[in-house]
Amino acid sequence: MLRNSRRNQLWALLRLLLMCLLVQFPASLITQAETGVRSTVSDESGKAVANAAVTATSIETGGKRTVTTGQDGTYKMDVPAGNYRLSFEAAGFKMSELFSATVSGTLPEVLDSKLEQGEQVNGKPTPKQQENLPNAPSSSTTAPSLSDLGLSPDQTQGNAREQALLDKRTHMLKIHQRMGLITTIPLIVTVATSLNAGGKNTGSASRDLHAALGGLTGDLYGITAYYAIRAPRVPGTKKRGPIKFHEAMAWIHGPGMILTPILGIMAFDQRNNGEKVHGIASAHAPVAIVTAGAFGAALLSVSLKF
Amino acid sequence: MVFFLTALPIFAGADSQWFLQQGTLTYHVSHPLHQTEGVSHAAKGKGVCHAGQCDFLIAVPVKSFDSGDSNRDLHMLQVTRGAEFPLITVRTRLPESAASSATINADLEIQFAGQTAEYKQVLLKVEMQGGDTHITGTIPATLSDFKIDPPSLLTMPIKNEIPVRVDLTWRSQ
Repeated sequence: MLRNSRRNQLWALLRLLLMCLLVQFPASLITQAETGVRSTVSDESGKAVANAAVTATSIETGGKRTVTTGQDGTYKMDVPAGNYRLSFEAAGFKMSELFSATVSGTLPEVLDSKLEQGEQVNGKPTPKQQENLPNAPSSSTTAPSLSDLGLSPDQTQGNAREQALLDKRTHMLKIHQRMGLITTIPLIVTVATSLNAGGKNTGSASRDLHAALGGLTGDLYGITAYYAIRAPRVPGTKKRGPIKFHEAMAWIHGPGMILTPILGIMAFDQRNNGEKVHGIASAHAPVAIVTAGAFGAALLSVSLKF
Repeated sequence: MVFFLTALPIFAGADSQWFLQQGTLTYHVSHPLHQTEGVSHAAKGKGVCHAGQCDFLIAVPVKSFDSGDSNRDLHMLQVTRGAEFPLITVRTRLPESAASSATINADLEIQFAGQTAEYKQVLLKVEMQGGDTHITGTIPATLSDFKIDPPSLLTMPIKNEIPVRVDLTWRSQ
């Protein structure tokens, strides 16, 4: 009994350590880890531009940070991971802007910039970037322009905040997808070990293994669910397609993942006391099977085309 | 994604304008587990002819593409930076006399996802339907042309090629 209790404590400690690791690892991808941008600012001939002001504006928060290039035209700016608009200004050069730069939080981003000679024109992007703006005028006097097409401002104006929201949503759902795939491994093994975990003559080792794997599955499932629940919603979007079924399955495997271990603990204690599993604890197996089935259906619904 | 457009019927030399009456654009995406298409019916276009040359502009909102799966459409919007660059625009210039044959080879300049790409000699079929000019064709677009990172499903990325079928009906006024 004492040995079992000590073993269970060790398993619990191992699971706790593993969970901390797994939460830290994907979470570190979107935490406010200090990282940065390093770059070289040069002119059209490739000559370094010293004392150029480089400003990074966070698309999410609007916060700004400015540094100045050194004599060799290089600079390094420590900024949290996120999406930024970068501007480059220097005396005798046109201002240059990079409308969207993503700092990943793992390695410093290298974003070299070339400045064009000329008078500074505040707020005006370079001609090549201006062409990429959705409402850029045509260069020809006879060619039609976007204003001729009757498009609404909503359709022509970019929205950096909305893009940042989409970026964050995709990032979190990618983690959700990966964690979901990882979770299927211990889930399958847990179901497989359930065959030896019950019955009259099985030893406690099989039950301990099944319980430990079940606990690991539950922890990974929790992390998977976290990233799905916390991923930003896009206002005004109506859900269509397989995602509706995928989310509906969560109403089965979500409560199931809570109920299964509760019933499992009750069954575990009964078996450890030498009793046959009885009462509500006997629902552990069918609840677990339904939960696993719903989880598998949810995964398949967004993986395969039916 | 999107593209397109062009060409024209012969003009008698006077200035004239062309208006896009109806446009359907369909992108095709290939993945080992999925083949997907997204369709837009929201293209707007105009052509202006002057001194023997016609300039065309077509614009399509990125958000207007519908693949039948809202989750996929949102992901498409994110990966193509459709919130920052909400329109796909296509510009082309053709001589007024270009379109007397059943086919046209058009040079297209396309802006999408904050990038500009040029497609030379894109083959288009032309049919006259009453007073309208019906144009169909396929643009051989790729993700790399617009510096778009290929999305992936179950760790497998989609193919780089994303051909876009166009079906446009123009009317001269």
